[in-house]
Amino acid sequence: MKNYLIAFGILFLAIVSCENDDFCSEETTPRLVISFYDKDDPETYKQVPIYVWADKKDSIYKLKIVDSILVPLNTGSNSVIYKLSTTNIVDQLDFSYITEDVYVSKPCGYKSIFKNLTIDASTNNWINSIEISNSTIENETIAHVKVYH
Amino acid sequence: MLKYIINSCFLLLSFYVTGQETQKKKTDSIVFKKNYGLRIGLDLSKPIISARDANFNGFEIVADYRLKKNFYLATELGYIDKTSKEDNYNFTTTGSYINLGINVNSFNNWLEMDNELYYGARYGFSSFSHTLNNYTVFQNGSLINSLSSAYFDPKTVSSNQKFSNLNAHWVALVLGMKVETFKNLYLGLSMNINKLISSKEPNNFKNLYIPGFNKVYATKSSVSFNYTISYRIPLYKK
Repeated sequence: MKNYLIAFGILFLAIVSCENDDFCSEETTPRLVISFYDKDDPETYKQVPIYVWADKKDSIYKLKIVDSILVPLNTGSNSVIYKLSTTNIVDQLDFSYITEDVYVSKPCGYKSIFKNLTIDASTNNWINSIEISNSTIENETIAHVKVYH
Repeated sequence: MLKYIINSCFLLLSFYVTGQETQKKKTDSIVFKKNYGLRIGLDLSKPIISARDANFNGFEIVADYRLKKNFYLATELGYIDKTSKEDNYNFTTTGSYINLGINVNSFNNWLEMDNELYYGARYGFSSFSHTLNNYTVFQNGSLINSLSSAYFDPKTVSSNQKFSNLNAHWVALVLGMKVETFKNLYLGLSMNINKLISSKEPNNFKNLYIPGFNKVYATKSSVSFNYTISYRIPLYKK
């Protein structure tokens, strides 16, 4: 009888400690972080009222005053075109990159990370210059692209 | 007066005296001898699940050998081919496994009955491979018009990538019962509470299912069941 009590005790512990929630709470596919800097003072952020949309898509940002934007990259393609507009002047940025799929966890499955980010073409209407500060996009904690205006 | 009191004390004084030689233990004239031998059988649940579930294919052979009246050496051998579906990926696991261990019967049988209510321990080993059939990349949506949906269509890859030469070791606590329904024919059910010791994890994937071990929970533990029918090949009686 005592043996059974021990056995059921272990069984109970094993069952109650089985599974945690099946929700994806980890960081998954990161977005591209673009930060805006002052062209005259390249160390300081400069806010800008901005519209942002990918080519032939809805706007992600609608006249928001920000110093950084987070935009998703297309995991199904190796390039994406973003349009950044302020005060009705539009600039176009053509990004290209390599995607790599990384397993995250049971509920999340796979995420994509991006490598070898390059800017193939860009217009300089309101943007003064562009610089890629991190060509590998693994998380959203640091800026990957710096825009001076 | 005192004399009478002292005398009556002596009268009430008593000694323990045995008037017999040591008594012989009575032995029951009828002794119910138990059948000893090799018991082999199969798990009934796995062929039934295989027939009903297109994503599962498996069988398991069980065997035990009675060493003492209430002590058995036990083993399970099996093969499983199972497709697991998660929210945004699915994979097929194929492999075989072996469990080795002991069972201890804790049920007191009446007369010639030979049923079991047992607990036991196992060591398990499995050799397997996974095939990642397809997956959809998890990408959080962007807030557009106050609605969160994927800005770009999420990428789905039919990779058919194979992760082979994987293995796992575990220990298990077993609780179960076996009932002799006909002479030497047993129906049984048991539950294994498994705890993973070590496993060879695939590169850029995870062992979420291990044949014999079952679904791997976050605590590296699992629960598995079997429902068996088995026959004891009687070798001798004791």
